Amino acid sequence: MKIIKRIVDIKNWKRSSKSITILIIAVLFVFTVLSILKPSEKDMMEHASPQMKQIIEENNKVDVKDEENNSKAKNLIITYNDLWVVSYVSFTTTGANAIKESYVGFLGEEYNAKSGMAKFSGQMINYTYRMLGCGENVLHGAKLTLLLTTLSMFFGFILSIFLALGKISKNFVIKKLCSAYIFFFRGTPLLIQLFVVYFSIPAIFGFSWKGLFEGSGEAVYMGAFVAALIAFSLNSAAYCAEIVRAAIQSIDKGQHEAAKALGMSYGQTMGKIIIPQSIRRMIPPLCNEFVMMIKDVSLVFAISLMDITTISKTIMSSEGNYLVFVPALIIYLIITAIFTFIFGKIEERLSIYE
Amino acid sequence: MKKKILALVLATTLVFTLVGCGTKEPASNPAKEPTKAPATAAPTKPAATTAPTKAAIDLSGVKLMNEGTLTVGVEIGYPPFEDFAEDGTTPVGYDIDFATAVAKKLGLKVKFINTAWDGIFEGIDKNYDVVISAVTITNERKATMIFSDPYINNYQAVVVGPNFKNKITSFKDLDGLTIAVQKETTSDVLMSNYKDTKTIKLTMSQNEKVTTCFTQLENGEVDAVVVDSTVADGYLAKDPTKYIKAFQDDSEPEQFGVAIGKQNTALQTSVNKAVAALKEEGFIDDNYAHWFKAAK
Repeated sequence: MKIIKRIVDIKNWKRSSKSITILIIAVLFVFTVLSILKPSEKDMMEHASPQMKQIIEENNKVDVKDEENNSKAKNLIITYNDLWVVSYVSFTTTGANAIKESYVGFLGEEYNAKSGMAKFSGQMINYTYRMLGCGENVLHGAKLTLLLTTLSMFFGFILSIFLALGKISKNFVIKKLCSAYIFFFRGTPLLIQLFVVYFSIPAIFGFSWKGLFEGSGEAVYMGAFVAALIAFSLNSAAYCAEIVRAAIQSIDKGQHEAAKALGMSYGQTMGKIIIPQSIRRMIPPLCNEFVMMIKDVSLVFAISLMDITTISKTIMSSEGNYLVFVPALIIYLIITAIFTFIFGKIEERLSIYE
Repeated sequence: MKKKILALVLATTLVFTLVGCGTKEPASNPAKEPTKAPATAAPTKPAATTAPTKAAIDLSGVKLMNEGTLTVGVEIGYPPFEDFAEDGTTPVGYDIDFATAVAKKLGLKVKFINTAWDGIFEGIDKNYDVVISAVTITNERKATMIFSDPYINNYQAVVVGPNFKNKITSFKDLDGLTIAVQKETTSDVLMSNYKDTKTIKLTMSQNEKVTTCFTQLENGEVDAVVVDSTVADGYLAKDPTKYIKAFQDDSEPEQFGVAIGKQNTALQTSVNKAVAALKEEGFIDDNYAHWFKAAK
């Protein structure tokens, strides 16, 4: 409620937030106008040359007709990518003598993407579209990267609090157990941990990750996602535990003593005094860990998932175009910038206690 | 405090932009719909309408992951054998067409599961029925899985750039040169063997992806690429001006087969029958010509 009230109360907004909001609205407005003016999918499709139209026609015929005598399957791929304000369409036949036609649509015009600037923008649109995982479920591209990073960090952080408390605990067994966990997960490569979780553990315990999602068409990929989530969470828990421990121990001993003098129990001291103060000190290293995790997630290439890096590598291997890494870098930078900003804001907000 | 609003606005923009592109409704255009799944949609029809031909290959006793579907594991990213089309979702390539034809012969639908090369054989009978992914038949592999009859022959070849002067008549002629190979392939094993036994002096660049080898050749970082002849043919067909096949070792053919789980001998028998039928019909040759031969 409070937040809504504050948002509605535009008069008392800070000047900077006002100007940025106006800027965002303006950008969104321009985007909307541009995407309305963009040529429709149908227009783009009709742009195919007569020769290509004939091929399309033939392929449709093959599909309708019984294929008994025609063992060669259809060999035409039509790609239509709709990326906010621009669109891209391409018609490609398969095989060694492939014929390709592609067009870029922008502001009510279609451009033949055969060479020059139009070709370049066509490729960029296609690559960006694929790397963002547009038109696919969350197990693709940037969506996968974002989801996996956020969830792994969330579960990892929760687990890490217990690990950190365990490591500074006075109970010998708990202390050694937590130290051993952290030692193990920091001391082995993440890729091998991922392999162990995905390949070895099911083999030892006699189950399959895919079996958890029986019946779904994407069961293999969902199973791989869960395995990756577990491996990344366990790993990030070990790193976060050290961050949390360092933050807790950085709080002055006097605070513990004062709490004790007030007759507070261990739980009260930690929950009400120490941890709230230490959270602010955790934020910068946690942000660091988060940003590292965004890039670590690219290791999922090893277990069949298609994140931004894997998709860019696939494109590289099929088209041999090194330019594919440009949109990949930009997407990563945007994601990192947004999370750095959010963490910065959280830190600023928590700083009022210092 | 009010900056929180700003963060909120930014966050929603992020969500908006990411979701905005994702909620597209596919198949709004009739021309597009059938091409969405060229591999899966087509083979179902003959199964329904041409029952007599289907009965030619007996499938009784064959255990499949999903009833009526041949689930195929492929490592997509090895053109021209298997690759994603430009739409990023449709698998295309020699193996894809071959697998589709085999499934059709068996009266089954086909479903492709994209998987990493590491652990691809672990997934047989777990995630998919067979692996059709340019798998060379070797004795080591035969210990843990069974193979269908070979469906394509493959040789080791040397590819050079257009400015290469020397003549190559055997691998020994590569003495003193810098070559590129794909890591952990037959080419890698072969050339490493030459190098380790000191038969010839070589500088080797072992790459993760075969494309890297060809990019290195194009950029002049290596003198030659040693690679599977099929892959070489594919590259040559695409870019006849950039690459020249200097040598092909016809003495030792390697053969690609369909990898099947050890217990699943019934499926092996059926697949063998399908491969034999496809060979007889000339499909295997046609498919090879389609993917590996440039039009003159």
